[in-house]
Amino acid sequence: MTAAGSGGPAPRFGGCAEHRAENLMRLGLSPDRWDVLIALAGNPNVGKSTVFNALTGLRQHTGNWPGKTIVRAEGAFAHRGARVKLVDLPGTYSLQAGSADEEVARDFLLFGRPDVTVAVVDTTRLERNLHLVLQILSITDRAVVFLNLMDEARRHGVAVDTERLARELGVPVVGGAARTRAGIDTLLDTAHRVATGEVSTTPFRLVGHAPAVERAVASLAETVESAFPKAASSRWVAERLLNADDAVVTAVRSGELGRIADAEGGGGANGDGARPPVPDEARRRVLQEARRLQWALPPDFHDTATARTYRAAQTIADGAMRRGLRRAGFDFDRRLDGLLTSRRLGFPLMLAILAAVFWLTIEGANVPSGLLAALLIDTVHPQLTDLGEALRLPWWLGGLLFDGVYLATAWVIAVMLPPMAIFFPLFTLLEDFGYLPRVAFNLDALFRRAGAHGKQALTMCMGFGCNAAGVVSTRIIDSPRERLIAIITNNFSLCNGRWPTQILIASIFIGALAPAHLAGLVSAAAVVGVAVLGVVLMLAASWLLSQTVLRGEATSFSLELPPYRPPRLLQTLYTSVIDRTLIVLWRAVVFAVPAGAVIWLISNLTVGGASVAAHSVAWLDGPGLLIGLNGVILLAYVVAIPANEIVIPTVLMLTVLTTGAAGGGQGAGVMFELDSADATGDLLRAGGWTLLTAVNLMLFSLLHNPCSTTLYTIYRETRSARWTTVAALLPVAMGVTVCFLLTQVWRLLA
Amino acid sequence: MRAGGAAAQARFSDSKDDFLYTQKPMPDPAVALLVFALLAVGGAGLFWPAGGLVGRLRRLTDLDERVRLEDAIKHIYMCRRARLRCSLESLAGRLGISRGRAAALLSRLSDMRLVRTSNTGPALTADGERSAVQIVRTHRMWERYLADRTGVPAGEWHAQAERMEHALSAAQVDALDARLGHPVWDPHGDPIPAPTGEMPPEPGFGLLAAEPGRTVEVLHLEDEPRELFDALLEAGLSPGARLEVVERTDRAVRLRDHGRNRHLDPLAAANVTVRYLAADEAADTSLATLLDARPGRTVRVASISRACQGAQRRRLLDLGLVPGTAVTPELTSAAGDPVAYRIRGALIALRGAQARQIWIETPDASAPREAT
Repeated sequence: MTAAGSGGPAPRFGGCAEHRAENLMRLGLSPDRWDVLIALAGNPNVGKSTVFNALTGLRQHTGNWPGKTIVRAEGAFAHRGARVKLVDLPGTYSLQAGSADEEVARDFLLFGRPDVTVAVVDTTRLERNLHLVLQILSITDRAVVFLNLMDEARRHGVAVDTERLARELGVPVVGGAARTRAGIDTLLDTAHRVATGEVSTTPFRLVGHAPAVERAVASLAETVESAFPKAASSRWVAERLLNADDAVVTAVRSGELGRIADAEGGGGANGDGARPPVPDEARRRVLQEARRLQWALPPDFHDTATARTYRAAQTIADGAMRRGLRRAGFDFDRRLDGLLTSRRLGFPLMLAILAAVFWLTIEGANVPSGLLAALLIDTVHPQLTDLGEALRLPWWLGGLLFDGVYLATAWVIAVMLPPMAIFFPLFTLLEDFGYLPRVAFNLDALFRRAGAHGKQALTMCMGFGCNAAGVVSTRIIDSPRERLIAIITNNFSLCNGRWPTQILIASIFIGALAPAHLAGLVSAAAVVGVAVLGVVLMLAASWLLSQTVLRGEATSFSLELPPYRPPRLLQTLYTSVIDRTLIVLWRAVVFAVPAGAVIWLISNLTVGGASVAAHSVAWLDGPGLLIGLNGVILLAYVVAIPANEIVIPTVLMLTVLTTGAAGGGQGAGVMFELDSADATGDLLRAGGWTLLTAVNLMLFSLLHNPCSTTLYTIYRETRSARWTTVAALLPVAMGVTVCFLLTQVWRLLA
Repeated sequence: MRAGGAAAQARFSDSKDDFLYTQKPMPDPAVALLVFALLAVGGAGLFWPAGGLVGRLRRLTDLDERVRLEDAIKHIYMCRRARLRCSLESLAGRLGISRGRAAALLSRLSDMRLVRTSNTGPALTADGERSAVQIVRTHRMWERYLADRTGVPAGEWHAQAERMEHALSAAQVDALDARLGHPVWDPHGDPIPAPTGEMPPEPGFGLLAAEPGRTVEVLHLEDEPRELFDALLEAGLSPGARLEVVERTDRAVRLRDHGRNRHLDPLAAANVTVRYLAADEAADTSLATLLDARPGRTVRVASISRACQGAQRRRLLDLGLVPGTAVTPELTSAAGDPVAYRIRGALIALRGAQARQIWIETPDASAPREAT
């Protein structure tokens, strides 16, 4: 059943077919039917996801980033009449199971027993990639190596002799480039043949060890041999035992090893009762002996094993690589890197590029946002209410559905969609090109001092677009502590949903302080000041977290700078709109629906002569005024948790509701905005707003809990209620403290 | 429905004067700030990491009866293993309690049939030995966990493990054991007992007994008391480090480590266990780290410092930084740190603190060493 390898065949664990199906379910694979199961494995950032997409036709977003796939992706398609299931494993540097990702990848290969494993290799880094390939070949027989990015390698002056590599590795090697689908069909065919056994493999296995280890392996192999005379490979079992491989230890302890040996070697003999089981005593002796030898092994056992694998990888790579071709691409990379990371030009270029992205986003979003608002709010909403009347819906049902739920959703879409649809593609283009890792590289010194990772600069930038997307993007940070810091502090990036609030309030209250011709400049400076304050506070919060609650989290810094790649415009536009924008928008809409209902209900349900909203406002007014805000603002922030976009419309509606001020409004629970900033200012002043209120609102808009979409995303990413709570409470506590102190000092001085 | 909305507003306007914007009295800002300051000071007093009241209360509860009993068993076990005499006095000193309390503890333990009295002082029964080994196993497993999977600094491992050894059940320790890949050594170089209780004899000898002029490998650092352990960490010692013993006097032990001289107080040196290198083992003699490599010049890795452990070490190894690997500093970031190195075809940025832990081959490293 298994082909013999140079280091002896690897017995397969997990028993019969049903056992395997059970294992796969346990590993989280969806239980549909398939004929061939293919696993995709490889280093981070080798284009594994691109290969996945090329094979399945799916458009999973792939970036020029190490470590994109944390959650395993699955896809299915038909090939030559067979149903093929493809599983994309997390990108890892090794299979030593030192991190969660590595555990997932290793367990899947070991217990999921894919019919064939496709090891995706970045041809430009053949040596490093072969290190993982050799580890994969040590635990599975059926593998195909796919040399991805052959075109890029050629551009960098590297070519690979695939036939020679295939001979050395003992498994088929296919060269190609997933981006252009080159080699994909051959890969699929080859993988299918290996899976069905048409092509047999003799995978390369390292033989021999350092002397001390060799002695231990040989001695333990004898003990294993005497306890399990029919085991397929006592040497392999001994190696795994010395590595403390759980699966093998368990197999020995339970005696399953003996049964597997029977099934593997005995052909017809099928397990139970065919032979007397191995006595308890002998099995215990094997484990005891393994333990004793483990203590005798040199403690740097793991280090030497890695060094040996690397030496083998180096020899194989050296033999198969043809260097010394044209090096034009390489020189271009170096020159560009020299420019983008230079001491003099590095930071100015970075600021210019990022400023351009933000300017394009804010300017470019104005027009489509206005059009969407005109369509969804000014045109469709009245039509809907008319329709409700025509259908003779009870007034409360129409109000709840159209004024509450519909209006909140429409608002979120109108404000949120255009900036995201501009920002994300621009950002993705920079990412695809390979510029963003250089930004992280340049800014790392700053973030290091705050106990964070340089890549946090990018998740922070992403947060300016949308905090939920920023939290998702922290997946690029592969060090656990730094990733948590980036997740928890992402909310300090002033997101798209809050920019309009800042701009509106600044132009009404702060711009008014300056002479008319400077008003625009002053209010813009105030908004930028708040955003910069956010960055400063994010660094401060990162430092605080890394010194206190996150002090004990593991850290493993490394930052790989991938080569520059020409970005693909159309595909970027497509994937970033689908993958980032629409998913985030969908989550926001899901949360906006109940919020709209709540806003309408609290404004229209009356208790003791006044609406619930009026009661809440009165009750919140005391604490609100203490921190320089008011009850209306606090209530708006409570009910508008799903989306910051609807805070201002809710504030305006509640102000009219509670003060009865003239000047706008379409009724209780109907959110609105006014056409002119002056009119809005008049209404707010009638609601008791002063300059202090405005400044505090701008601060509180920066420093309050993340919106529920972001909180949900934080929970999805951390899987921890504790960190979600910290992420929710930390900014609120900071916001309340800052506003309180400012208010009291202001009043003391005034 | 519009009518309904208007009605709601009308209903509302009747009652609005009752409770809205009837200007509420605001507290005096000075008083408010004072109250805030008091609250802040009070909160800090309660929750400050080291001296806070909550922390102190937690430490008080550490001293409950069960913990004392377990600590007593562990003390007796460790004494026996180190072939030291265990007595009422040593127990009272170890646990920081009076001799009377220590005697009461011992009699409770013998009621529980965990301790018997022999002519050489208290000794453990078979049951007592089993629980002692379980406590030691928990302690060392937890230290291994802290070293491998967390970023807790080395100086704090012992104190945290002292707490956890009383908190984890045997099943939890076994689960941890499996997750960590069944480690056999704790990060200080002590063996972790097997679930069945076996432990290997402790090898090596004290650093104070090492002859000057010979090269030794550190096997074990005693992690108690904290002050001496910190002094050892300060001197750059960690299990696996290879050092040359230069001189041994009553006042200090002089060591040479990567060309640098280290002085160790004899009191601290007594807490270090070492062994002589075998004939086929080379001393660690490189004199420069990756941080010293000049831009554009290719160097070769000699070793990764033993002080670099856990996730960080695994990552460096996985990137291919094994002895002999060629590394070229290629790019310096705009801020000067990190630096990107060409390692096995890939461009990898490493921070200064990491590069400092990677020793590189220097010309004198391969030359035969002369007596200094």
